[in-house]
Amino acid sequence: MRLTDIQPDFAPSRRTFMIGAGGLMASAAILGRPALAQSKELTIISNIANAPQREVLQRLASEFEKASGTKVVINNMDHEAHKTAIRSYLVVGAPDICFWFSGNRMKAFVKRDLFDDISDLFAREKYQDVLDTSTSAVTVDGKQYGLPLGGLLWGLFYRKDVFAEKGWTAPATYDDLLSLGDKAKSAGMVPVSMGTKEMWPAAGWFDHMNLRINGLEKHMALMDGTMAYTDPALTPVFDKWEALIKAGLFTPNHTSSGWEQAAAALAQKKAAMMDLAGFVKYGFPPEEQDQIAFAPFPEIAPGLPRYEDFALNSVHVPKNAKNKEGARAFLAYLYQPENLAAYLAPEGAVPPRSDCPPSADPLVNAAVESLKSVKGTAQFYDRDTDPDMAQEGLKGFQEFMVKPERREQILTRLEATRKRVFKA
Amino acid sequence: MSRLWRRHGSWLAPTLFILPGILLFGVVIIFASLQTIWVSFHEWDGVGAMVWVGLDNYRQLIDDPQFFVSLKNNVIWLVMFMAAPPLGLALALMLNQPIAGMRIVKSLFFIPLVLASVTVGVVFTWVYDPTFGLLALIFNAFGATAPALLSDETFVTVAVVIAALWPQVAFCLVLFLAGLNNLNEELIGAGRVDGARGFAMLWNVILPQLREVSFIALAVTVIGALRSFDMVAVMTSGGPFGSSTVLAYQMYEQSIFSYRFGYGAAIATVLFVIMAGFIVWYLRTLLKVEEGNA
Repeated sequence: MRLTDIQPDFAPSRRTFMIGAGGLMASAAILGRPALAQSKELTIISNIANAPQREVLQRLASEFEKASGTKVVINNMDHEAHKTAIRSYLVVGAPDICFWFSGNRMKAFVKRDLFDDISDLFAREKYQDVLDTSTSAVTVDGKQYGLPLGGLLWGLFYRKDVFAEKGWTAPATYDDLLSLGDKAKSAGMVPVSMGTKEMWPAAGWFDHMNLRINGLEKHMALMDGTMAYTDPALTPVFDKWEALIKAGLFTPNHTSSGWEQAAAALAQKKAAMMDLAGFVKYGFPPEEQDQIAFAPFPEIAPGLPRYEDFALNSVHVPKNAKNKEGARAFLAYLYQPENLAAYLAPEGAVPPRSDCPPSADPLVNAAVESLKSVKGTAQFYDRDTDPDMAQEGLKGFQEFMVKPERREQILTRLEATRKRVFKA
Repeated sequence: MSRLWRRHGSWLAPTLFILPGILLFGVVIIFASLQTIWVSFHEWDGVGAMVWVGLDNYRQLIDDPQFFVSLKNNVIWLVMFMAAPPLGLALALMLNQPIAGMRIVKSLFFIPLVLASVTVGVVFTWVYDPTFGLLALIFNAFGATAPALLSDETFVTVAVVIAALWPQVAFCLVLFLAGLNNLNEELIGAGRVDGARGFAMLWNVILPQLREVSFIALAVTVIGALRSFDMVAVMTSGGPFGSSTVLAYQMYEQSIFSYRFGYGAAIATVLFVIMAGFIVWYLRTLLKVEEGNA
């Protein structure tokens, strides 16, 4: 047994690996080509998890390479590992382009001066004109620090054939949801498929209930740490959520399964609905994907405008990039309407540009259509709030879904965390 | 050169051979440990500046209910893991017989050792799955509903430890099998002459000869229980809601997901102190045993 086994410093070991790998690449570049050609190289770190999308990026990169003479190197990383690695590689060994998430997660790096201001690219390519609201997700103090990529609109998904066969309609209100729950249960199905092994699905459900009951402004106040978790405004949210749990709306033993298993249950007609975004289609066999239908999360407080979770991924130029001009040129190429549409298609994501060719994916078109009646958007619980707060919150919501009777205890704990994190 | 070598070779050669090891040990272990202790006195998100907060992280630990859950789970790991050496010994005694085909049986028992612990974790997650797992099949055969062990905050740690015990028992089995092969035949013969048989033979003649092996098996088991991390990460990610978290996993979670490197380092330091306490006791006992033999 070695002592190294108990040494906790995972991050430095990853960092060392990154430095090592970066150094190796750099020295290979120096040895392999004349010094002058060095600026003609562009490195991209990608965190893309799905293979078809990686292929599109690779294709765009080689097209760009032919057109510009700049050699493009793409380093693919595991999606989860990348979340850790980015914090070290932005400081030492930054690539020229990297993928990340807009909103609060981007702001964390902007505050530390690790992302390059690309307002010049925005002005040059006149992105403002085609992007409208999603610009705000990449803007800090009036400057743009990234390009918004695909957006994921959250809502309820169900199978058209099942609903047609049983004569059900998608629930429009909270009461509809409860009565559909009864119908589904008597048909021997789980009303709402839920897998909370990765915890975030429970937090998504909280987001949607809170946005429907308290609206966007109060929800964002909670995310920004200016509203207490013990605030009485949250009482109806947890009351109604508890009623749903007690009515047996969710998959039993949901902490044992991940979202993929939950999506599979929907595909196998074992469950009636699921709260997710367009990527729900990965739970379905390709030939059945046309059966998936989208409906907005039901209304709870009557008359409240529709606010939704709309998570936007983004792409950035690190401050320490070596080839910032090349990076801008590549981003401009990637962001051409056809290229962007091709890149986003495999993800099932909504294109941020209004001038992209119409998508062939009915789920994307449904989301685009649905977005037109949305008054305002949040991103997602763990993207909107501080990561430290998010970790406790995710755990708390998962616990609430299993033990709703511990509400008091959970909220007191979350409030203590909020005070610590936001120094309130 | 050769004169220099002749004069100093006796100490130069061993020094040169040991040097790379010492350097590596110094950088990777000693330096990293000291740095971890240093970080534990700071608030640090892994990127920005480190802010000195003194003992604040340790004060927060005492108020953190999650820390005590982790600590309690580490105790459960430790207690349950103590079953590994006796089980390993029992299996070794059973397998250490000159019967045809015993080699194949032995290799079957070695299998968990060959598997990566992540694999063992994934396999047991399937076994425990309440809908299609082996456990569910067994329960269904008796007309009962299988408990969702990994979703139950009371049983989850026990279920994870059972999965971890499988390779640990196999490891102890290998140690004891090796020990049984090195038994002194003369002593056994003498015992037989004196009329020792069965349990008396085991207790008075065999076990005393296995003392050192048992000692190693015990040490490996204790450290294995304390450093448990991979099984928890693979099988439950510390869940449901943190109820199966152990210290090593909590430190990982706090540092990586919550960006609290200072707090993570404080947990690491606590784990280090516990481990160091055990190692000191172990080395002292080992030295005594060696002195006793000399």
